Amino acid sequence: MLAEPKLTQFLNLLKDASPEDVAWIKGYLAGLTAPAATGAAPVGGVHKVTIAYGTETGNSKRLAADFAARAKKTGIHARVVNLEQYRLTDLPKEEYFLTIISTQGEGEPPESAKKFYDHLHNNGFKLDKLKYSVLALGDTSYPLFCKAGEDIDEQFQRLGGSRIAEIRRCDVEYDDDASQWINTILDKLSTAAAEPVTAGVTAPAAEKKSTGKKSYTGTVISNVDLNDRGSNKATYHIEIAADDVEYEPGDAFGIVPENPVTAVEKILSLSGGTLPDRVITYKNESYTIGDLLRYKLNISHLITPVIKRYADLTGKTITATKYDLPDLLQAHPVKDTEQFVSMLGMLNPIAPRLYTMSSSPAAHGGEVHTIVAKDSFTVDGRTKLGLCSNFLGALPEGTTVNFFVQKNKRFRLPAPERDIIMIGPGTGIAPFRSFLAERDATDAKGRNWLFFGEQHFATDFLYQTELQTWFETGVLTKISLAFSRDQPEKIYVQHRMWEHADELYQWIAGGAHVYLCGKKDPMSTDVEETLLKIIETKGEKTPEAAVDYFQQMKNEGKFSEDVY
Amino acid sequence: MEDNKHLSGIEKIKTSSDHLRGEITESLKDEITGAIREGDQALIKFHGMYQQDNRDRREERAAKKLDRLYSFMIRLRLPGGLISAPQWIAMHHIAGEKSTGVIKITTRQTVQLHGIVKSSIKPTIASFNAAMLDSIATCGDINRNITCTAHPGQSPLHAEIFGYADAISTMLMPKTKAYYEIWLDQEKLVDKKEEADPLYQDRYLPRKFKIGIVIPPNNDIDVLTNDLGLIAITENNELTGFNVAIGGGMSTTHGNAATYARLGTVIGFVPKGDDIMKVIYEIVTVQRDYGNRSDRKLARLKYTVDKVGADWYKTEVEKRSGITIAPAKPYSFTGRHDNYGWAKNHEGKWYYTAYVASGRITDDEDQAIKSALFEVAETGLASFRFSGNQNVIVSDVAEKDKASITAILDKYNVTGYTQSASPLRKNALACVALPTCPLALAEGQRYMPVLLSKIEPLLARYGLEKEPIIMRMTGCPNGCARPGAAEISLVGTAPGRYNLHLGGDRAGTRLNTIYREHLDEQEILGTLDKLFAGYKVDREAAETFGDYALRKHVATV
Ligand code: SRM
Ligand SMILES: Cc1cc2nc3c(=O)[nH]c(=O)nc-3n(C[C@H](O)[C@H](O)[C@H](O)COP(=O)(O)OP(=O)(O)OC[C@H]3O[C@@H](n4cnc5c(N)ncnc54)[C@H](O)[C@@H]3O)c2cc1C
Ligand SMILES: Cc1cc2nc3c(=O)[nH]c(=O)nc-3n(C[C@H](O)[C@H](O)[C@H](O)COP(=O)(O)O)c2cc1C
Ligand code: SF4
Repeated sequence: MLAEPKLTQFLNLLKDASPEDVAWIKGYLAGLTAPAATGAAPVGGVHKVTIAYGTETGNSKRLAADFAARAKKTGIHARVVNLEQYRLTDLPKEEYFLTIISTQGEGEPPESAKKFYDHLHNNGFKLDKLKYSVLALGDTSYPLFCKAGEDIDEQFQRLGGSRIAEIRRCDVEYDDDASQWINTILDKLSTAAAEPVTAGVTAPAAEKKSTGKKSYTGTVISNVDLNDRGSNKATYHIEIAADDVEYEPGDAFGIVPENPVTAVEKILSLSGGTLPDRVITYKNESYTIGDLLRYKLNISHLITPVIKRYADLTGKTITATKYDLPDLLQAHPVKDTEQFVSMLGMLNPIAPRLYTMSSSPAAHGGEVHTIVAKDSFTVDGRTKLGLCSNFLGALPEGTTVNFFVQKNKRFRLPAPERDIIMIGPGTGIAPFRSFLAERDATDAKGRNWLFFGEQHFATDFLYQTELQTWFETGVLTKISLAFSRDQPEKIYVQHRMWEHADELYQWIAGGAHVYLCGKKDPMSTDVEETLLKIIETKGEKTPEAAVDYFQQMKNEGKFSEDVY
Repeated sequence: MEDNKHLSGIEKIKTSSDHLRGEITESLKDEITGAIREGDQALIKFHGMYQQDNRDRREERAAKKLDRLYSFMIRLRLPGGLISAPQWIAMHHIAGEKSTGVIKITTRQTVQLHGIVKSSIKPTIASFNAAMLDSIATCGDINRNITCTAHPGQSPLHAEIFGYADAISTMLMPKTKAYYEIWLDQEKLVDKKEEADPLYQDRYLPRKFKIGIVIPPNNDIDVLTNDLGLIAITENNELTGFNVAIGGGMSTTHGNAATYARLGTVIGFVPKGDDIMKVIYEIVTVQRDYGNRSDRKLARLKYTVDKVGADWYKTEVEKRSGITIAPAKPYSFTGRHDNYGWAKNHEGKWYYTAYVASGRITDDEDQAIKSALFEVAETGLASFRFSGNQNVIVSDVAEKDKASITAILDKYNVTGYTQSASPLRKNALACVALPTCPLALAEGQRYMPVLLSKIEPLLARYGLEKEPIIMRMTGCPNGCARPGAAEISLVGTAPGRYNLHLGGDRAGTRLNTIYREHLDEQEILGTLDKLFAGYKVDREAAETFGDYALRKHVATV
């Protein structure tokens, strides 16, 4: 019971309150008392939350974006994810997890959230760390009002999560209820928001020490071909979990591929009967011949010196300069086992391959992601496959792999408030997904402009949904796309750059850093020429002055490239 | 009005759209998505388009971090469902170049093309425009395509009736020039007064509005399922005027008891000429002013009529039009079938009605009807007409050309298939549903043919294979294949599951009733088998299955 004068104030307040007001007050008080009632952990100093939405017609999505925008203002970084995209294995790692979901069908979750919804209900896992709240969208004209939201709210509770605020159910006119829910949540999260940022969350890149070529062991947790059916391409997005891995955006992932079993068998069949498990030494280490061929020796695309040495060894005259080992042995067989063994000694080890990482330490902690284009080519009429890209593309989830981190000090994000222009067609997108994820996770204020290109919009738009989310939440300021084969005339990134020449030059003149990543020929040369042309014409410079200006940019680290 | 205190979101979009322009032009330029902006998705409907995505591909693309595979469906405006040979040729090519290639005849006598990507919309509309075809107001909260009895048997009246379809369509067209500005890059209007719209104002109608004109005794267009149905009345083969029926509609929503299917109420007779035009106009204005604009599920004319009462509605229309609506004249319906094969009209012209399964014009193992109709069009010896049963009628063929046209239809097995298909099949309707329809809960046109092949043997088992039972299927309760007015209907509730309704009559003057809920295929076949067995023994002389089912089953549910 309230004492005077509080009581009168309270009653006055109620006297001229509309039904909506009363509903709000009710909800607000419920919100205030909720944690106690549901034993929620005390909240405070929160800087990172995940806000996930499940939507059919877009309302929940819009609200999630509103939330993120308003959270930013109070210094809280909210990662917006579509439940359709949400990786279920992340759930146990979540701490603050907010869900906005509508109800569809007859009390069901939206199609896009079914996977998530079923996962919650099927699996018997625990979510003790989870602090959550649910905003349920619905329509009171349906018998099962906001059912999907309610189910999720209860299921989180069952799995050990604790509510930071009561679930709020919204009718078709959801605006007021929704913004009240957002207020309640932001209130709770920003209590004691003054506390310092906990390390790790936004630990400045510089503080991390270089790890050189330290070798890591990781597990493939996902391997997806990002190109849709009907594409001419196959581009694998590979996620590898390795808790202890240390890297920075811009670094590359290095790995030594294994030779295909079929090739190894073919070689052994041409070895004059050598036993695969016979042990021999190669560069002062001993291996069985089988392992040596499978894991150590380069047997494809032999370099000319090797072929020469083989000719001398076998005393044959060999004119061809390009050979894979199986074809070489086929065409010019060894005399006997001993000759075969000494031939092995002449081969080079398999060279490691590099793949620029597309993940960010701040956003994808404990994981590295890469994007690998399937390489296939024809050698005198026969289609051959690139060794490493096909080895990686075929890696099943759960495989253990050894890899190393290849630092790239010349390809680093600038200060958070600097603008960046990213030019990355095809797999060149890799470091820029990393940059955007990093800048998103660390709330860097600088503007971000991406140029991306591929063959077809419908099948080849790498990371489309992630880029869309970053675009909607304002992390990606501008995106310019060039799909070369969607119209009669070929359009590439450099054409888009030229179309935006004025604005591009303004960014550059304003101190923006320009990054270029992807295939060297012909892409990177064309792009550099276009950049020069833009500096010259829009900067009203003589050709010489333009070249100097561009050189100056390179010297100051304002133009960096990672091309291959 | 009372229930218009909180206008629905769409209402706000309409009034603030600058006469259906919205941000469509900007939307088309958004590179990052194949979709258009939220608000514009409601507006393009008024221009005859729907944004859709291939639902079969959603999950896999999501895993690939690719957005949904968005494309657009375009629905043509064809009052009375008439289309010339040159127009057919144009449509054939456009379908091939810009869409999935399938030409889909709808239950309202027009065609839809699916799978048009955002960047192809303008080129598509431009090509249609060149062939003097448009898609204005074929969707949206506005008067839709007007349907008309297509049956050549009624043709003494056809010229006049088609004239009305055209005149009404023109009278109820929106005045905005947005379609021409946005899609055909025509000059922006300087003087906005040119598009002042006394009928639709800036808010348009509360909901879609549908008009159908029928020439008894064949109710092939299901006139009573329209918001406004016109029943042609004749005296010694002269059209005198129309009986007017208001408040028809099929749609319901699962679990929403406030929604229901309804057949039109005949409010009286109005003479042809200016009188009927005035009355039609005011029927629309009353719905504009009294329809529910806060809850779209209750916004169709049928709910307005039940809210204000049919008599009040009639009086209000009389007041506004200054015309007294006379008592209805007698008329009767005998059926809703298309009469397949060749038929001659009063002028001696020939008409071939071909059966098109679910209205999908494409070459398949049954018949190469797409090639056939294209070849017919190229001869220039025929025009085309669509029926409300999703079929096509090769029309206006002169006696001397009949043989050559028949030869073409034979060559592609059109005649063969039309003859061999069972009566059940030829009277069946199924809606589009998956994969394009965003509202589908279950399959429609993709599944109906399969299911029919399993039902035909059941009928045969009881020697009922000749019965022209009217069976319809929809993927959800919106009722696009008019299931409420069928003898047997299956209404999707979830993947692979349907509610079974029974007891509609053959002429389309009685709604059916729900009989069993949420059945899977086995349960559907089992239930029908029992019903057919009962029908075989208990049926009264010449009793239709619908009447039988009503008498023995649903009347007692
Ligand atoms: C193509 C067609 C079915 C067919 O297979 O032929 C069709 C297809 C669709 N109808 Fe329909 N309706 C079609 C005739 C009908 C009919 C039958 C009729 O009018 O004779 C009805 C029932 C009569 C009525 O209106 O009550 C009908 C009642 C609906 C409704 C429910 C309206 C309501 O009162 O609630 C919707 C949903 C909506 O409007 O919200 C709908 C919505 C749709 C949409 C556009 C789905 C959407 O809103 O996104 C469907 C497009 C599917 C696709 O991928 O093509 N369609 N729709 C018919 C096109 C007719 C035309 O040419 O204009
Ligand atoms: C810093 C850096 C970053 C990189 N980042 C990425 C990235 O993010 N994504 C990505 O997909 N790639 C990236 N690459 C390229 C990648 O490292 C590999 O080069 C690429 O995957 C091809 O390797 P592979 O083993 O599949 O093909 P390989 O087997 O090495 O073949 C490569 C090429 O050699 C030629 N060749 C091979 N065998 C024969 C033969 N028998 N006869 C004739 N010609 C032959 C062919 O032209 C073939 O295309 C990067 C490279 C560098 C240096
Ligand atoms: C086909 C359909 C079925 C629906 N079923 C329900 C329901 O069972 N319960 C409910 O509370 N709301 C239901 N709704 C209402 C939606 O949840 C409501 O429109 C919500 O605002 C949609 O939000 P979204 O755009 O994020 O999907 C349904 C809506 C549609 C279109
Ligand atoms: S009935 Fe339902 S599923 Fe079928 S087309 Fe109409 S809206 Fe789509």
